[in-house]
Amino acid sequence: MKHGGYTKFSLQNLLGPLALLTVATYFLNGASTSLQLITQFALCYFVMVLALQVFVGNSGVLSFGHGSFALLGSYVSGMLTAPVHIKGHALALNQLWSFLVPLQVNIYVAMALSALISGAVAALTGILLMRLNGLAAGIATFALLGVTYNIFFNNKQIGPGSQALPAVPTITNTYILLLIAALSLVCVYFFNISRIGRTILATREDAMAAPALGVSIFKVRLIAFSISGVLAGLAGSMYVHVAGTFQVQDYYLDFTFMTLSMLIVGGSASIWGALVGTVLITGVGQILLMMEQNLPVFGLHITIPLGSRAVIIAVTFVAMLLWRSSGITNGREFSLDFLKKLSKKN
Amino acid sequence: MEQKTFHADEISKSFGALQVLDNVSLAIKPGEIVGLLGPNGAGKSTFINILAGYERQDGGTVTIDGVPLDGRKPSDRAKLGIARTFQSGRLFGNLTVAENVALGALGLGNSRKVAEDRADEVLEILGIDKLSRFPAGSISHGNARLVGLARAVAAHPKYLIMDEPAAGLNEDEAPRLLHALEQVRKNIGCGMLLVEHNVKLVTEACDRVIVLATGILIFDGLPADALTNPEVKTAYLGSSGAH
Repeated sequence: MKHGGYTKFSLQNLLGPLALLTVATYFLNGASTSLQLITQFALCYFVMVLALQVFVGNSGVLSFGHGSFALLGSYVSGMLTAPVHIKGHALALNQLWSFLVPLQVNIYVAMALSALISGAVAALTGILLMRLNGLAAGIATFALLGVTYNIFFNNKQIGPGSQALPAVPTITNTYILLLIAALSLVCVYFFNISRIGRTILATREDAMAAPALGVSIFKVRLIAFSISGVLAGLAGSMYVHVAGTFQVQDYYLDFTFMTLSMLIVGGSASIWGALVGTVLITGVGQILLMMEQNLPVFGLHITIPLGSRAVIIAVTFVAMLLWRSSGITNGREFSLDFLKKLSKKN
Repeated sequence: MEQKTFHADEISKSFGALQVLDNVSLAIKPGEIVGLLGPNGAGKSTFINILAGYERQDGGTVTIDGVPLDGRKPSDRAKLGIARTFQSGRLFGNLTVAENVALGALGLGNSRKVAEDRADEVLEILGIDKLSRFPAGSISHGNARLVGLARAVAAHPKYLIMDEPAAGLNEDEAPRLLHALEQVRKNIGCGMLLVEHNVKLVTEACDRVIVLATGILIFDGLPADALTNPEVKTAYLGSSGAH
């Protein structure tokens, strides 16, 4: 091929985000115990934002429903790995279905199952949801989140309901989480430049022109939605094995808007944007949290009212949508071209 | 033996009380270029939207090489060999010209390698290969028209529907389009329906012309005859004749 392009394989597009992911994890993980935990959660968020990038970023259809798949992934992983006596206690308290109590698998098997089950549910729900466009699609995915949340929150036969399922085994080695995040990144990158990935981009760019090229909008969106469901399930599974507790509330509105903010602020059209958004919102969010708790930030005591963090992130989210909807990275993948421009100027 | 034609038979369409198309028929053979003329509001856009599957007709049938297309979506029709361009271009502005054109083949299930090779081939045939690396959103209007044509041609369609490809082109750019159409006929051999207001382009490029006026087919014949047909002159060209 005589030409390059945004959807053509580029080593720097792939290695750039991998390098930032690895370097940031390395330095933050070693800094302190609290930063290590923040880094571990950030890696979970990053996989979730990647899941959103695959669907929202590539199709241009906003989804508020991906928290459902993260919730499902977290639930499956938590239930399959929590100690039997803990589940037995829950059975006594909440009338948990007895066949769920003895289920036990290896933590990594549980993670794989979580991803697969979430992907399968995404595929099934997508058969209905992917027929919708625009506002209707956004509302329908939000309804999916509400339905999933209410099923798990109110039904104590299938899980802990509004209570927590404690003692879920944790992954304490940050580099295992880094490896999962890096593998997810590589998979998403190759999906994005694949034939299907390119045709989804066409539907995002012009939903009227794409069908004239033989692209079935329903089919390509369903594929992307299912793959993003797999990744969201994996992210939920990672999250529960970092938190050590399964709680339905962890995957509802805060989680949904936090991860969507990460994607929108960074730039939904690229993996680089997903990573930059995750790093930025995690970092700024943590600083704001410390301010809310009157803790020193870089040696300074600045106190802000409780709840300010959520408000500031929400305002940033809206501001980006209004004035720079392509995000900080302008929807571009990582590139060293700016070095060429700098050398030309000098 | 199956007849190789793109055939619209007695197509009718109304929007409420307004009859937009009234029993319009058309047949295009492989390699033939047919011009579709008509004043604004004649029903041209509705007709080609029906042919490409973007709108449903109230009556009549559309077939490609004997296969009925009624009820099939645009993407299914594209797979059966119908490509189209759009009046407003509708390029994927954030992708390069080459990526736009390659998508014409990718959408039909071809591999990336095949699609990229085909993009190179078509861009060269149309003489716009130097644009391949440019973002499609950054090129001139005239070039965007040719890229839109290239994207449709990259599908190697059996039949190509072009919606006013010369709209907005200046006097220098229109001959480039004419040359491009000749190249497409020579290299791809597809049948083409050219919807145009540019009478000069239509008479030079087309083998046959049909003329619509208020949803009724008023002429089907040679381009030279269209210019002298009294009904056409009255309805479309004006009583004083072509300009």
